[in-house]
Amino acid sequence: MSEPVNIRQIAPGTKIALVDGALAEVVSNPADGVWVFARFLSSPGDPSRVGGEEMIFAQDIVEIRE
Amino acid sequence: MATARISGYRPGLVDLAKGQISREIFVNDEIYREELERVFARAWLFVGHESQIANPGDFVVSSMGEESVILCRDRAGNVHVFLNSCRHRGMKVCRYDEGNAAVLTCPYHGWSYATDGKLVGVPYFREAYHGTLDRSAWGLIEVAQSYLYKGTVWATWDANAPPFLEYLGDFLPYIDLTLDAWDGSDGGTEILCGIQKWRVPCNWKFPAENFSGDSYHNISHRSVDLVGIGPSGSGRRDMPELNMAKKLHIAFPERGHQTTSYLLPKEAAPPPAYQRSSVVSDYFRECEEARRKKRGDWGRMIALVGEAFPNTAFLARQPRTLAAWHPRGAHETEVWRWFLVDKNAPTEVKDFLRDYYIRYSGPGGMTEQDDMENWNYAHAASRGTIARRYPYSYEQGMGAEVENYEWEGFRVPGTVCDLTQAKSSEHNLRNLYRRWAEFMAAESWDELTSWRRPARAEAAE
Amino acid sequence: MPCDDAMSDRADQITRFLLKEEIEDFLYREADLLDERRYDEWLGLLTEDVRYWMPMRRNVKVDDREREFTREGRDISWFDEGKETLIRRVRQIQTGIHWAEEPVSRISHLLSNIQLLEVNPSVGEPAEVAVRCRFLVYRNRVETETDILVGKREDLLRRVGADWQIARRKILLDQNVLLSKNLTFFF
Repeated sequence: MSEPVNIRQIAPGTKIALVDGALAEVVSNPADGVWVFARFLSSPGDPSRVGGEEMIFAQDIVEIRE
Repeated sequence: MATARISGYRPGLVDLAKGQISREIFVNDEIYREELERVFARAWLFVGHESQIANPGDFVVSSMGEESVILCRDRAGNVHVFLNSCRHRGMKVCRYDEGNAAVLTCPYHGWSYATDGKLVGVPYFREAYHGTLDRSAWGLIEVAQSYLYKGTVWATWDANAPPFLEYLGDFLPYIDLTLDAWDGSDGGTEILCGIQKWRVPCNWKFPAENFSGDSYHNISHRSVDLVGIGPSGSGRRDMPELNMAKKLHIAFPERGHQTTSYLLPKEAAPPPAYQRSSVVSDYFRECEEARRKKRGDWGRMIALVGEAFPNTAFLARQPRTLAAWHPRGAHETEVWRWFLVDKNAPTEVKDFLRDYYIRYSGPGGMTEQDDMENWNYAHAASRGTIARRYPYSYEQGMGAEVENYEWEGFRVPGTVCDLTQAKSSEHNLRNLYRRWAEFMAAESWDELTSWRRPARAEAAE
Repeated sequence: MPCDDAMSDRADQITRFLLKEEIEDFLYREADLLDERRYDEWLGLLTEDVRYWMPMRRNVKVDDREREFTREGRDISWFDEGKETLIRRVRQIQTGIHWAEEPVSRISHLLSNIQLLEVNPSVGEPAEVAVRCRFLVYRNRVETETDILVGKREDLLRRVGADWQIARRKILLDQNVLLSKNLTFFF
């Protein structure tokens, strides 16, 4: 189980690693610490999500990269 | 001899034939609960000003009746009013007073709503809900109708309520006197930043009747008149209008709105005002001249206080304000007060007015302080078992009202009671309570829209 | 010499301590005047150009804090005034028929956390002192009506002759919706 991350201030462009192994890039951040809008860069579990933009829930984010 | 317990509204509590109103309607908790259903869940309520939500994503928290609502502007620029309660388990979605947000997220379980109210974020929608939750059915609860009028935002929870303009009817031009610029241009007003919010220990109907036109209580403000905070250096306000104008109580019995206004003579120049600042008094004089040209006889009307049923108050002049009397139980009111100035007035005029408004109104205002002392202790003294048996007196000026009041060529819309000689009347107050009683008794809007009856009768034939 | 430096540091500390005592004493005297309703004397403690400001407060996001307070000179506040209207407020109370303050309230002004923020031009010859404190104003009126108002106060005191006067008072009440039905008293 990874340490929780505070996503409230992640800037657009930041890469985030998700609990299912996917990687996404933050598009916008509503700054509520609960959600970010991100575009999937890779999604081993469900490749159809790649390129799509979704709301990502804080508890699904395991690591902030760069 | 014990009297029967009043367990809720019943006819006779408001007895307009006698000009008496039972204290129960102010202090009875059961009547209050009924009011929330019968009045606040049905009527049009004032929510805020468009300038508070100027940009997409802007939101501000307001109140309708007892309930918290979110007034916001969505990405497409449309204005919405939502119940501030998460559909999942009720948490107050927004606990900030104002801000800008892409989504409104509930801190409890993370449900997130777009600014158009749609439920867009549901944690573990795929996993925990197996993708089956019908998100379109769980958006924020939106008011049934809303209306934007000259910057003001109004809303009602009742889909059957008459449209806003019909709800106001011929009272609308009197509201315009607060919302239009001084020179008579449509709209043209803006609110000053900073909404005053404070609690008063009294039933909301005490301030509502005050602003309906309690013309009798000026003695209570005598201390203010003595020290002179008016913009021309004396009294509470500039009142040279008194000397040349007709002072009128104007009411709309079918709708429950009323106002106190001054009607100037046809050929008189507008009285001078705001003499403590030559910039302001010049601005005012130029505006008044322009208003006369633009509005003709309507330019002779100078509104003072007014009340749109049930709980939205106006003061058109000195100060210029909108207020909402939010019920917080039978025994407490939360007042919200907005202040207006002309959008295009010079900065010096706005500054002068702002200074004046602050010292006049609100809990720090030298005038309003005495009102609240009266409302507080009038309410408190009316709660007792014995006190409740004795009605309040609203007999002043009964029978003195006329239809078709006209003076020097201007026919005044509404039912009018001329106070110029009489000095005072309770005509407007009776009007407020007449309408209140109708709302409390009515099962449907058919009973509350008497002005539609001719059309309904024709349709029936 | 280190010994001389130590002595002069200590002298500075003592001067500062004595100044703080003097300022605190002034503020307590002022509180006495208000509690005892000696308003004309209180007005005498205000400079002619005094500003007396109590902004309203909003609940805003933690990083949106510039929107928290209403702005002096621009927005609606609870108070934003000068000596003239403060005098009028006193005169209103003195009419004896300002019903919101008649019968009179019982009031106590408690001050604590008094700190000197800035002294100009020097501690040795102070002409203006910026002071911060916490206040608790306890007001009780009629039978059971009680208000407890707590917050921070920032004052600018100016030396005038042998005494101090208040040139500026900023009152930051720790409330959003005001829980007191009126503000017929001074902070």
